[in-house]
Amino acid sequence: MSSDSDYDDDVMNEFDDTMDEDSILDDSDDYENSLDDSGDELEYYEDGEDLNFDGVMAEKHRKKLYQVDYTVQSAKHLMGSQDKEVGQVASILGMPKEHAATLLRHYRWNKEKLIERYMDNPDKVLRIAGVVTDKVRRIIPAREISTPQHPFSCDICCDDEEELETVAVSCNHRFCRTCYEHYLRQKIKEEGESRKIECPQDGCKIVVDEKTVQEVVDKNTHLRYRELLNRTFVDDNDHLRWCPAPNCEFAVECHIPSTSLTTIVPTVECECSHQFCFGCGLPDHQPAICPLVKKWQKKCEDDSETANWISAHTKECPKCHSTIEKNGGCNHMTCRKCKYEFCWVCMGPWSEHGTSWYNCNRYDEKSSHEARDSQTQSRASLERYLHYYNRFANHQQSAKLDQDLYRKTEKKMEEMQQTSDLSWIEVQFLKKAVDTLTQCRMTLKWTYAFAFYLSRTNETVIFEDNQKDLEMATEHLSELLEKPLEREKIAELRQNVLDKTVYVKQRREILLEDTAKGLLEGRWTFFVDLK
Amino acid sequence: MSTGIARARLGEERKQWRKDHPHGFWARPGKNEDGTMDLMNWSCGIPGKTGTMWENAVYKLVMLFPEDYPSKPPKCKFTPPLFHPNVYPSGTVCLSILNEEEAWKPAITIKQILLGIQDLLDDPNPDSPAQSEAYLLFRKDRPQYEKRVRLQAQQNMA
Repeated sequence: MSSDSDYDDDVMNEFDDTMDEDSILDDSDDYENSLDDSGDELEYYEDGEDLNFDGVMAEKHRKKLYQVDYTVQSAKHLMGSQDKEVGQVASILGMPKEHAATLLRHYRWNKEKLIERYMDNPDKVLRIAGVVTDKVRRIIPAREISTPQHPFSCDICCDDEEELETVAVSCNHRFCRTCYEHYLRQKIKEEGESRKIECPQDGCKIVVDEKTVQEVVDKNTHLRYRELLNRTFVDDNDHLRWCPAPNCEFAVECHIPSTSLTTIVPTVECECSHQFCFGCGLPDHQPAICPLVKKWQKKCEDDSETANWISAHTKECPKCHSTIEKNGGCNHMTCRKCKYEFCWVCMGPWSEHGTSWYNCNRYDEKSSHEARDSQTQSRASLERYLHYYNRFANHQQSAKLDQDLYRKTEKKMEEMQQTSDLSWIEVQFLKKAVDTLTQCRMTLKWTYAFAFYLSRTNETVIFEDNQKDLEMATEHLSELLEKPLEREKIAELRQNVLDKTVYVKQRREILLEDTAKGLLEGRWTFFVDLK
Repeated sequence: MSTGIARARLGEERKQWRKDHPHGFWARPGKNEDGTMDLMNWSCGIPGKTGTMWENAVYKLVMLFPEDYPSKPPKCKFTPPLFHPNVYPSGTVCLSILNEEEAWKPAITIKQILLGIQDLLDDPNPDSPAQSEAYLLFRKDRPQYEKRVRLQAQQNMA
């Protein structure tokens, strides 16, 4: 807690009304030891403040409602867990590991389901998974099985030399080793198959087990095979997901079932620091839940540009609401769909225009008023969408621009080190501030998608307040980071940035905590079906 | 299945076929320009099954074997193209055992392929339509479909 106090003071003064002291302390360690003007904080805490300390620490370690438990696993670790599962099932079912592995793969690593079904009807389970547990010698020289009447001949290459080696799995469909190997290599290297390579015999559904593959194929192909198998271990397992970041080889284990995705947004962070949603694999989209994200993205793909254009260039037929673009001609419109005749200027019925064919002076008449009102209503929903979309897109764009800011900031940090007596570690606060800024922009972006689908209730007011506060705080911080560096004001800037960063971070947490809590309590109602 | 086994295997297929093949079918390798045998290109005939509306006719088909046969299946093509829900307008047959990503296995023989196609004639697979004309009639106007099949059988009378 050595570094906590000095900025507490400042933040407290500035944002007294919005937070309590605990919540500020709660986040303090992000500042590391960048502020180490020791001395005075001891005095500060000496007057009884440290009684609070245990509570603060407890608060600090308590999991936030918007966070989920997860572990990041390396490829090596995955192999280990895979082997463990296989070993366990093999010993329970009393069969060789390679067959237990085939069964587990068939049941998508759902051990409980496999064991239950197996105990129920072992023959059936073995049949549908393509396993025959009979012991078989995989590789046998052709001369051992050939008789003068029935010399062995490979059904693939039709070779019948006595020197051949033959291969078969437990179905006992024998082919020469060269053909078997070629077949496996083709499946593995060209088709990317691994967990369900069937015996080469026509119609035979028996799966070539991993031990046979290992014995028959060359080392290179076998490596590829293992790699593919490991990939399917994650792909098939509901509790595992690959980190989607390019070239990242870690997987995340998380036990949030897909049925909970309407109430939780399981954001996880990989070793490579990429933050993504465990539910759908997209980059972090808190506070919006997966079904809303999916709907929103689809809507944006379909509608955004079109909607903008419609809103700018068209009106609707007052009767059938078909969208009409006027590309020339007079104001006497006849809807091509419903044949209704109206005036483009006042939207009133044309019949009332009498003989004033080319100009309209009836703008204020009752009937034209009504026509325009109904149009306003239908346009309102379009505009509502554009309201949210524009804000969503704006944050997306700003977050992209923040990448430039990142580069600029790095320069600034160097500058700072040269012009002031701050060390490298002491200027890290700038980089942290940019990170926080980008993160908040992402959160803000998704609050607009969330808000778009939110039905208006008393609760939404609180949400919007939180959104507004975060919006303001984020903009302040952004502005601060764009400011040019003034040599004599570095200390002040640093203090300011530090304070703002803490505050912004805090605002984000408050917003996320409240929305997450609302989701769990069913406090939010959405006007779309979440299925 | 090292390279060059395609011809060895096809030579053996030919030997087996001459030894024994199902009644009414025929299959033989084509000829190169210089008169030698072209094992990679066979012409075949598939009889319609007795008791079905395809009967009393033989449908002509060519089998084109790729260089990496039997890793990859041959392409089977009716000449002329056939009126059938699972035959593409080009004449190519759409059948799971002829698709390397589905049920093709290197051990499948020419005999099995031809028998498989014969089965398909009277038992089309409505889940993988390959031409709209036959497919739509098959689904929506069965009497008309049957009429077309019978007419086609007459044109291909054995």
